Amino acid sequence: MAEPVLAIRDLAAGYDGRRVLDGVDLVVPAARLTAIIGPNGHGKSTLLKAISGLVRVSAGTIALRGERIDGLRPDQIVERGVIQVPQGDLLFPGMTVLDNLLMGAYRQDAARDAGARLDMVFALLPKLKERRHQIAGTLSGGERRMCGIGRGLMAGEGLLMLDEPSLGLAPIVIDQIYEVIFDLCAAGRTILLVEENAQRITERADSIHLLDNGRFVWSGIGAELMARPEIIEAYLGA
Amino acid sequence: MDVFIQIVASGLTLGAMYAVATVGLSLVYGSLNMLNMAHGAILTLGGYLCYAGIQHLGLHPALALAGAAALCAVVGLLIYLGAALPLLRAEGFETNVFIATIGIGSILENLMLRGFGPYPIPQPLAVPGHVVLGNVHVPLQNLFILGVAVVLMSAVAFVLERTRTGRAIRATSMNREAAQLMGVRVGRVYAQVLAVSGALAAVSGVMISSIATLSPVMGGDPMLKAFIVCVVAGLGNVYGAVVAAIVLGLLEAATQYILGVRWSFATLLLIVILVLIWRPYGLFGRTQVVRL
Repeated sequence: MAEPVLAIRDLAAGYDGRRVLDGVDLVVPAARLTAIIGPNGHGKSTLLKAISGLVRVSAGTIALRGERIDGLRPDQIVERGVIQVPQGDLLFPGMTVLDNLLMGAYRQDAARDAGARLDMVFALLPKLKERRHQIAGTLSGGERRMCGIGRGLMAGEGLLMLDEPSLGLAPIVIDQIYEVIFDLCAAGRTILLVEENAQRITERADSIHLLDNGRFVWSGIGAELMARPEIIEAYLGA
Repeated sequence: MDVFIQIVASGLTLGAMYAVATVGLSLVYGSLNMLNMAHGAILTLGGYLCYAGIQHLGLHPALALAGAAALCAVVGLLIYLGAALPLLRAEGFETNVFIATIGIGSILENLMLRGFGPYPIPQPLAVPGHVVLGNVHVPLQNLFILGVAVVLMSAVAFVLERTRTGRAIRATSMNREAAQLMGVRVGRVYAQVLAVSGALAAVSGVMISSIATLSPVMGGDPMLKAFIVCVVAGLGNVYGAVVAAIVLGLLEAATQYILGVRWSFATLLLIVILVLIWRPYGLFGRTQVVRL
């Protein structure tokens, strides 16, 4: 098997001495959709923040294509091609949609062909083209999510991490968002997806990892998860 | 009509000086949440450095002005490296840096007291002559100040709106974590912003001392006014600060003429209180609405 894009070994991380993650191992293979599911408040977002360098890693290693990235600054990690679309979008509210997207292409090598990327993003998310001169703070929830994802795509090639892209959206909008995500998968993008709602992704994810209380308690493919109703009931309450 | 021209001419000059002094303060607050209490001292230092450049080194006034701005940019950078950067790593940054910069300001003021003495000195950078509008003689010095302010404000606006660096500064001030996730090295943004703020303070110090005089404590009044402008505009709102500075300058000139000089500051404060009752986050301030 080819070298994984991301390999996490025995990771521990947390805030101010409070450990949120402990002994986390994860492999994200290239051109696959890897999903992390689990109940709220058990470390899913913390894991993405640790990978992005926003949360300090206290033990273990994170390697990107064999090269360690734990301990680097967030900007250095982005520069190496680890792109996160954070939970709740975290748009730049006072900027136009266009400026938000251009901020996505802040990376050195993304800035060079920002024009071409912008066309690609507008083709994938036509709504953003309509709204490009609108101030991001005035967008609707679904448009904000699209802007957040579009901004992530502006950063170019690399690992794309999406933190709960369905959070707080109406079901019909969630379908639209996931259509875009599955299109990206089909185009061969490497994606690490965090999702609370397991049903959405069981059929499409190449591998699913269940994070509970700071560590992975189950890993497998969607069909296996569906065959274990007791897991879904115990951890996801569905 | 003549009175009107008089008020507008001196009001715009005041407003322009406040605007240049305020923009730096506002940029720093916007991106770091840092109230730089040494801003007034840097402003004074700029005035003295320009004076020293012309008087003691015999530099061309334009060169002395540029040199003063460059040196004060370095002072801003040193404040970042020496005070802001170490304090950012600990809890309670806003309070700590507030106190630390009061200390830095006081050190700078005392150094200037030692170096240049307590007595007021005239600023040699002066543009002689005047133009006549109606029956009013408007000194060219005033127009020069206005011109410099317009050029500087346009330059700041251009950088903020049109360049990659400026976009990163705005992004950092809107959402620090998101800016980091875009690959912005926020430490560098902080350093840039403090350096630019130092340079702008120096220029405003030179302008203010050119129509008043140089003294070690001259920075106090403009800094106070700059804070007032910042608060009225909404802390961290750069464009709002420019508008508020000019409006307050015009208002101050009008009050001075109509009610007398001693009422101008009281009126200013009264307006601030009214604005803050009406809009507690400032005229152009934004309340952060978080929607999930």
